Amino acid sequence: MSQGPRIGVFVCHCGLNIAGVVDVEAVTEYARTLPDVVYAVHNRYTCSDPGQEEIRKAIKEHNLNRVVVAACSPRMHEFTFRRTVSEAGLNPYLFEMANIREHCSWCHPSTPEAATEKAKDIVKMAVAKARLLGPLEPIEVPVTNKALVLGGGIAGINAALDLAEMGFKVYMVEKKESIGGHMAQLDKTFPTLDCSICIEGPKMVDVSRHPNIEIFSFTDVLSVEGFVGNFKVKLRKNARYVIEENCTGCGECRDVCPIEYPNEWDMNMGVRKAISVPFDQAVPLIYRINKDYCIECYKCVDACGDRQAIDFSREPEEVELEVGTIIVTTGYDIYLPEEGNVYGYGKYSNVITSLEFERLILAAGPTGGHVIRASDGKRPKVVAFIQCVGSRDINKYPYCSGFCCMYTLKHAIQLKEHYGQDVEVYIFYMDVRSNFKGYEEFYMRAREMGVNFVRGRVSRILEVPENKNLIIRAEDTLLGEPIELEAEMVVLATAAKACDDAAEVSRILNITRGTDGFFMESHPKLKPIDTPVDGIFLAGACQGPKDIPYSVSQGSGAAARAATILSKPSVKIEPIVSVVDPEKCRNTRVKCGICARKCPYGAIRAEPGKPAEVIAAMCHGCGTCVAECPADAITQMHFTDAQVFAQIEAALENNPEDKIMGFCCNWCSYAGADLAGTSRFEYPPNLRVVRVMCSGRVDRDFVLEAFRKGAGMVLIGACHLPYDCHYIDGNWKMKARMEALAKMLEKLGLTPDRFRVEYISAAEGVKFAEVIRDMAAKMKEIGKERIKAENAKLKPFIDRMFARKGR
Amino acid sequence: MACIPGMGETVMVMKLLKKESENELLVERIMYTKHYRLVLQKNWCIGCEICGIVCPREAIETVKPVKVEGENLNPPSITVDENKCSFCGICTAICPFGAFTLTVNGENVIPVVEKESFPKVIHDITVDETKCPVDCIECQDACPFELIKVSADKTTGTVKVEVDEEHCPGCRLCEVKCPYNAVTVRKIVSGFIKINTDKCPEGCRDCVDVCPIPGVLNVSDDGKVEVDDFCCIYCGVCRIVCPVEEAIQLDRSSVLHTPVRSGAWNKALEKLTSTKGVTKELRSKLTAKVRETVRRRVG
Repeated sequence: MSQGPRIGVFVCHCGLNIAGVVDVEAVTEYARTLPDVVYAVHNRYTCSDPGQEEIRKAIKEHNLNRVVVAACSPRMHEFTFRRTVSEAGLNPYLFEMANIREHCSWCHPSTPEAATEKAKDIVKMAVAKARLLGPLEPIEVPVTNKALVLGGGIAGINAALDLAEMGFKVYMVEKKESIGGHMAQLDKTFPTLDCSICIEGPKMVDVSRHPNIEIFSFTDVLSVEGFVGNFKVKLRKNARYVIEENCTGCGECRDVCPIEYPNEWDMNMGVRKAISVPFDQAVPLIYRINKDYCIECYKCVDACGDRQAIDFSREPEEVELEVGTIIVTTGYDIYLPEEGNVYGYGKYSNVITSLEFERLILAAGPTGGHVIRASDGKRPKVVAFIQCVGSRDINKYPYCSGFCCMYTLKHAIQLKEHYGQDVEVYIFYMDVRSNFKGYEEFYMRAREMGVNFVRGRVSRILEVPENKNLIIRAEDTLLGEPIELEAEMVVLATAAKACDDAAEVSRILNITRGTDGFFMESHPKLKPIDTPVDGIFLAGACQGPKDIPYSVSQGSGAAARAATILSKPSVKIEPIVSVVDPEKCRNTRVKCGICARKCPYGAIRAEPGKPAEVIAAMCHGCGTCVAECPADAITQMHFTDAQVFAQIEAALENNPEDKIMGFCCNWCSYAGADLAGTSRFEYPPNLRVVRVMCSGRVDRDFVLEAFRKGAGMVLIGACHLPYDCHYIDGNWKMKARMEALAKMLEKLGLTPDRFRVEYISAAEGVKFAEVIRDMAAKMKEIGKERIKAENAKLKPFIDRMFARKGR
Repeated sequence: MACIPGMGETVMVMKLLKKESENELLVERIMYTKHYRLVLQKNWCIGCEICGIVCPREAIETVKPVKVEGENLNPPSITVDENKCSFCGICTAICPFGAFTLTVNGENVIPVVEKESFPKVIHDITVDETKCPVDCIECQDACPFELIKVSADKTTGTVKVEVDEEHCPGCRLCEVKCPYNAVTVRKIVSGFIKINTDKCPEGCRDCVDVCPIPGVLNVSDDGKVEVDDFCCIYCGVCRIVCPVEEAIQLDRSSVLHTPVRSGAWNKALEKLTSTKGVTKELRSKLTAKVRETVRRRVG
């Protein structure tokens, strides 16, 4: 570019979100004084149409070739403004965002002056980086127009059917033997009381018959590699010891099998044979031998006869798939109160969970649809339902599980319908939450049918030893007095919790989980189906408890989102890849290859005698190689050393010893800082953050430079060990590097507290605020004088080190 | 509450219980609609290894007795792991002493026998009562388990000999002791036993103490242990308690059982006897089958 940088700065009020705390006029005024800034203006809503138009106009009128928008988090609107500037003919990568909302106004509401000073610094850092930005062209990669749906519940079924109808090949992977999910376990569905399997069964069959859908049931996902449009998925098909193609599903083998074991599908209330299907409507209808129980009498082999479907020598089989998008629909699990719970679950035989009740009242269930007590097989005359067991409980799961009120109403109505005046029904509730269409009417119906509602939390349940009845002690908060009720059966509406292997799925797919354990969406309102990973979407209860209609709509929604990628022949990926300078690379002279070894994706080739080479399409842009390169020969586009150095310099120009220099990875700790802002957790305004894609990008030189420039404290924020890193193991590489550096700095006289590495997830806004509060307090404790003295002692060492490197 | 192998942590079994009293070991699986009970009656159990060897889930273990100086050694005991037991009934079917009972919802059943996937051992004792004189109760006295009851009607001179076959391991002591050759007993387990007395520790008579059949193991005049294997039931208790390895050589060769064709039985038989034992049985079955086919064809 022949012309020098001409920067335009646009400061956003965001209504009062920013302007209510930060003096935006002062910030704009200040921006005008910064080098190369030729235009600065403030606007009520920069992201609105007129706001964007103003940017486009200014680019033309003032011949701007760099744009800085000081507004919200780049995780929110960077993409919006990149599009805006490109519409005005500017390369989108000549845009930079200054996060003065989540990282400033929202978290410093009571110190507006300090917040304004911080906002100025943030703008200064953005301008400093903007001056060094270069134009980049997005990398186009081809799209494999197939999709993977992970989980065969009702959400997954809908996502798969929709995509298949659009003409895309869909692979559905289900961990269990049959698809159908929890919905297939239910009897009736609220509020219309239609039979669950009667409405889901046909859909399950549709999935199995659809020419575009291939089901992998009883299958685990081992690994997922790649990126949007180009995922490589490794599966393990567990051995059923039944040859799928030969099994006709006739069930003759089951009839001769002598061994019974508890059926998980029936919540272990009923039994199944060692060769069996979990339930009659299972899809695919392929029998399975459970070798944990099978005694290998081979009676089934005889019964199967000429069909020859049984093969005891089967081994688990690994399958590799290539897909363009992944829809995660792994669902939820039911919480079971642990031993010693106040409800006596597991101790008293007539205390059961709602899902167990569901299997009881189901005609195909273990009791043939008769609601009977486990203790004596008699029909209970008084049934008490207890709500919010585990849910809305700060000691267990603080969230509301959402659908329990409705299914309890359904159970109450069903009991009344079956047994009329012959059964008394009590519901102990905290609040009845019956929003959505037809739900409130359903609630009224239960009331009209004579169901007794008691508002209050149950404190204890005791068993009458003689007749195994249950004494419920609770407080009726409407009457304001303690009550006691003798019931013959107690049904607990236990919480819906994140499924047990959510942690495993989150590790394999690199998608984050919230503090509640459910998967986190990209944005709670505007991107409820997206994950932070491009090309991976969420639907159904894996994102949080959801009822059937909600899960169905999300399944279809996810299909539509996936189709936006699958329908195109190629997809653009961010060109923030690494580039090796062949002149500087040591590999030509010595046997180096460090970058190739450290790259988590194997995207670097370092052949002896030749300079290392980055395969752009395989590079995910973490920048770990850049930080690891001993010759500083690698540059990460858009996150160059020079740009980060400029940001450090800008941040620490004034009063550096008062400041905490932070390097935060985009996916976890930067997002955690955003969440701290969104949640309005206040912390001292000393922090200045440089965003990097991965903590693995944080070069030792960044930390040294910060101290050389006089920083009071340095913080590196990373994803949690061991598996949370968005780039497989960048955080581990950073850890190794920084542990060595911390030792060295300590030897050189640095107070160890002044250099911190913290692991903060995207869900840990609280932790982020706490860390900063703690660091600010420590910084005060250490004192300016000591910081200055230590820095002065460090400086010559760092100077010498940098001089050797030619920095 | 307990977890079932091969399943997630989130589903609970109604109840898995184990109760032990002086007379009984009780293992229960109580589910909503089904109640499984496996009872080991300790008065019948001699603590041998047979059920432990054949249990397909390795749920049964033989616990070695603790030796008390100066006292006779007690026989070993049996313990069942309630978390492993799948209530298949194989132990019930195989026990030569009939020490196990399995009930499902209160009814006596042996699922593996019912579905013909495992045989029952045959207890075969026949007494020709016509040979019996009125005043003879030799067999009743001879039975080490008190399974025989002789009653005589002095007026008619008829003798009735009742045998509790279910609990009879077929040691043949009654047959040996009968002076009139009136009793015939088929051995349940056939085999071979030899004691390598060179390896016996000085003065050890543990095996003699625990042997359930009197007279099978004796201490001879020179202090060495002798075997009279005519009455041996090859239960293997002696080998369990023997402190020295390979001092007792015990091989089972066949088991008397109801006819059944099943992989589970072949496996159990192989574990009880040897590969040779199974091959032999399979070959004889094959011969029988060939004979049967020929007979059918020839008429």
